[in-house]
Formats: sequence, structure tokens, C-alpha cells
Amino acid sequence: MAGCGAPHSDGWGMNKVRGPLSAAVRVILGAIFIYAALVKIADPVAFAGSVAAYQILPYFGNYLVAAVLPFLELSCGLLLVCGYRVRGGALIIAGMNLVFMAALASAIVRGLEIDCGCFKQGGPKTSPWIALARDTVFLAMALFVLRGEAKKDRLATTKKPS
Amino acid sequence: MWRKNWLGIIAEICLIVFISAAAGIAWNRTLLAGAWRGEPTSQAQAAAPKGEELPMPIGLQQVKELHDSKQALLVDARSAAHFARGHISGATSLPLEEARKQPALPFKVKVPADATIIVYCNGFSCHDSMELGKLLMQAGFETVYSFEGGFPEWRDAGHPIATGGV
Repeated sequence: MAGCGAPHSDGWGMNKVRGPLSAAVRVILGAIFIYAALVKIADPVAFAGSVAAYQILPYFGNYLVAAVLPFLELSCGLLLVCGYRVRGGALIIAGMNLVFMAALASAIVRGLEIDCGCFKQGGPKTSPWIALARDTVFLAMALFVLRGEAKKDRLATTKKPS
Repeated sequence: MWRKNWLGIIAEICLIVFISAAAGIAWNRTLLAGAWRGEPTSQAQAAAPKGEELPMPIGLQQVKELHDSKQALLVDARSAAHFARGHISGATSLPLEEARKQPALPFKVKVPADATIIVYCNGFSCHDSMELGKLLMQAGFETVYSFEGGFPEWRDAGHPIATGGV
């Protein structure tokens, strides 16, 4: 709460740029996740196969993840695009990305030659390295959105008393 | 105030996760019920338009049992070169490319139509086994399974493999 009482006049210039930029990042990230969710929902069996290829979960676990994960991606993506409950959505997306990155890293360490299964199932393989880099970008985007939200909040709380 | 804020966010996250999980489970209930019972999933069959039958997915455990008891014929959908480098012991090679040219005819002469057939290729990212399975079903074979983990899963589990020979 250190910044609460500080005057914000000097920060305005940045906020003018940050606001729209943060909103744009939010909508883009949301749209990416909605797309990723829809292609998986369309083919849950194939996605279960992609999950199983990581050889992390037991048999049923693969199917459970294949059933639930796309819907979680879909809800978070929708929340981000609509700008409703952004913080919850962005935090979950950041969390999911951490899990994806851990899974990809473990696949790389174990030398598994698998498709990342991130978007469309089947087709040409996406190397785990590329997927890892991509997830890093998504994670950064989610953190950027979260920071934008925190800033908006701080502004709102400092503005209220006046 | 911070604490209250965090509690609110945690509640929000739990709610989002819960609703999504409920939606996901409800949406895929048939698939999940099948997977829970350890049955080969029938989702693919239900989703396919009538008239086009798809081979049923089968897991490593069941493949091993059918392999050991010699109740099923394992069919390798990969190229002959791949087959020679390593295949599930006792498997028969029927590359998808060849089967496409000559729809499983020479194969059919040797194998009765009521035999249990398990097709496999190079794992989950490989769809040749599914395609070959479809061809075999069109050719009149009734019980065709697709082992999605394929040769990599079998080999990594330490089950018997063989090299060379077609």
C-alpha cells in the first residue's frame, strides 16, 4: 500500500498509454485462449491422446484433463475478452501457463518426441521448445494484464476520497 | 483490506474453475464414463456420421493382455522401413500407403473377418493407425481397435519387440 497516498500526476502520461495497451493485450490473450479451447473441445479424444503422450497422468486423468481443461481455457478467455472478472481469469491463465511450461519442460528433459497439443490436434508437430517460448509470451501477457488491473485498482482507491 | 481482496480473488478463481470443470465434465460425460470403466472410448463412434465406423481406441494394458493371450492380431500401419527397425513382437506389417492402393486385399485372404485386430503406428501424434483401422473396417473386419500409444508406448513400457522382416 506504499503508493496509496502518493500523488499520481506524474504517472498519468504512462497510464494513458498503458490503459489501451493493457486492454489490447487482454483481448488478444483472451481470444487466443478461446481459439485454443474451441479446437480442443471439438476433438476431446485427440486431445486426451496429446495429454497422454506426455506420460504424466494415469489413464483416466488424461481424459479428465481433456474434458475440463478446454472449458477452463474457454471461460478464462471469455472473461478476459469481456473485461469481466479480469483478475481471476488472468491469474488462472498465468497458472495454466506455468503448468503447461512445466509439462513441456519435463517432456524435453525426458526426450519425448511429442506434439505439444496446444492448439489444433494432429497435423504437423509443434516442437516443445517453440511451445515453451510461446507459453512464456502468454505468461508475460497475463502478468501484464494483471499489472494493468492492479494499477487501475490503485487509481480507483486513491481517487475515491477526493 | 488486502486480505479481504485476496480472499475475494481466491473465491473468484475457485468459482471459475468449478464452473468450467462442471461444464467440461457435463459436456464430455459419455467419454468420461467410458474412460472411467476402462472401456475403449466410444466417443469417436458416436460422433462419426452413421455409416462410417471408426476403430475403437484401446490402452496399453489391454493390448498387452490380448497380445500375450494371442487373442488379437497386431497390425503395424507404419512403413516397411519403420517396421524393420522395430515393431511389437508378433505384429504384421500393413503400411497405410499400401493398404490405400490395394484395400487390405492380400491381408484379408490370410485373416478371418471375425478376428480381433489392433492397429498401431507411431504414437498419439500419428493418425495412420486410425486411417488403416477405418480401411480394415470398410473391408469387412468387425473388431478393430486402435492402439493410440503405438510402438513408442509399447517399447517404453519394456514389452517385447522385434526387428527386421516384413
